[in-house]
Amino acid sequence: MMELYGHFMQQLVMYQYQINSYISQTIRSLNDENSFTTSLLILGIAFLYGLVHAIGPGHGKALVAVYFTSNKSDYKKAFKMGYLISIIHAISALVFTFGIFLILKTMFRRHFNELSQTTMIISAVMIIGVGLYLVYEAYKDKGKIEKKQKVKTKSEFAVAFSAGIVPCPGVMTIVLFNIVLGHYFLGVAAAIAMSIGMGLTISLAGIFSIAINKKVTTKLEKKTYLLEMMGGVLIVLLGSFLLLGAMGGHHH
Amino acid sequence: MKIFVLLFLTSLLFAHPHTFIDIYPDIVVENGKIKKLHLTWKIDEMTSSMLLMDVDSNGNGKIDKNEEKNIEQNYFNTMTDYDFYTYIKVAGKKVTLPEITHFHAFVEKNKVCYGFDFELHTNAKETSLEFGDSDFYIAMVLKDEFVKVKGAKAKVTGVDNDFYYGYRLEFK
Repeated sequence: MMELYGHFMQQLVMYQYQINSYISQTIRSLNDENSFTTSLLILGIAFLYGLVHAIGPGHGKALVAVYFTSNKSDYKKAFKMGYLISIIHAISALVFTFGIFLILKTMFRRHFNELSQTTMIISAVMIIGVGLYLVYEAYKDKGKIEKKQKVKTKSEFAVAFSAGIVPCPGVMTIVLFNIVLGHYFLGVAAAIAMSIGMGLTISLAGIFSIAINKKVTTKLEKKTYLLEMMGGVLIVLLGSFLLLGAMGGHHH
Repeated sequence: MKIFVLLFLTSLLFAHPHTFIDIYPDIVVENGKIKKLHLTWKIDEMTSSMLLMDVDSNGNGKIDKNEEKNIEQNYFNTMTDYDFYTYIKVAGKKVTLPEITHFHAFVEKNKVCYGFDFELHTNAKETSLEFGDSDFYIAMVLKDEFVKVKGAKAKVTGVDNDFYYGYRLEFK
């Protein structure tokens, strides 16, 4: 199983390796004569890149998976959540990239790394908070069968926000590469295309988890609050792991 | 189910590669011993453009001597903490990383390249080199066609290290 997983991950890395090289060459080949078709091609590749990129680790999929495995929901919600995360992901990447580029201009890479560590710590703390909140809500409502919609929407937004706030370095890199070559508009469009791709993958992780939840909750019947609580605890653990990782690891 | 959760948990802890480095080894073996072990790292275009923003202070698209010094001190040497993503085994045992000499940096086809030597002069057949980033942040890529060896034959294989994948270079 582990070996299979390793090969799968390596295959993903190699796909990204190829796409990464293809997209940078295509962006560089952009000129006045081919600008429309090449721009479309670049956006297409960016979408594909996002799709493959988000299959790899991170991007809040674990959080989405745990949340939907432990909270009753429907498939539409998973799509909403996936796209909410990717929208926040894209905005955060665009704001940070343009911010660093316009304000600081230089030492991009160094700031880039400090910044991703800071946002990772903020995200981890928020995830712990969301987990605690979910445990509290599950405990408070343990008698009730159906939860209030308002509480659910609130917690769903919190899950999406805490996962999406860490800007995706992959998106930031593409945006910056475009900016450096003077393609400001294309940079923003590529970030959006890539995020749509990532949103699809994250949504699929949610749908997969809802399918699991449907199987489990029919067995548990009225004790779904136990599952919700477990989910909350798991999310707290997840956040703690992330926090440790973010504080310990320094990238370069 | 357990494995499923475990996979998600562990995969979340690891970042995924955003930087891709091609490794071009240039090795000379004499009388069975490694005489020269030179590596050239070619960094992907996108990361290279970010790197150039930082280090190409006069903006001429080239790396000058003082810019090279800056790269060596502030970028290259910081990778000591990661053993330069290189793990060397002699007779099956992992050895501490040998001294690195002759560092130079240049730009080739929009890619920033680092060249350097490992001062390793061991028996070639007993020596193997592995490349990979256990943090999963950088993808080190080694292909057969990247390798240049004189005086011996090289073999490149993939290595599965549970949560990251690497490449091994051996001699025959």
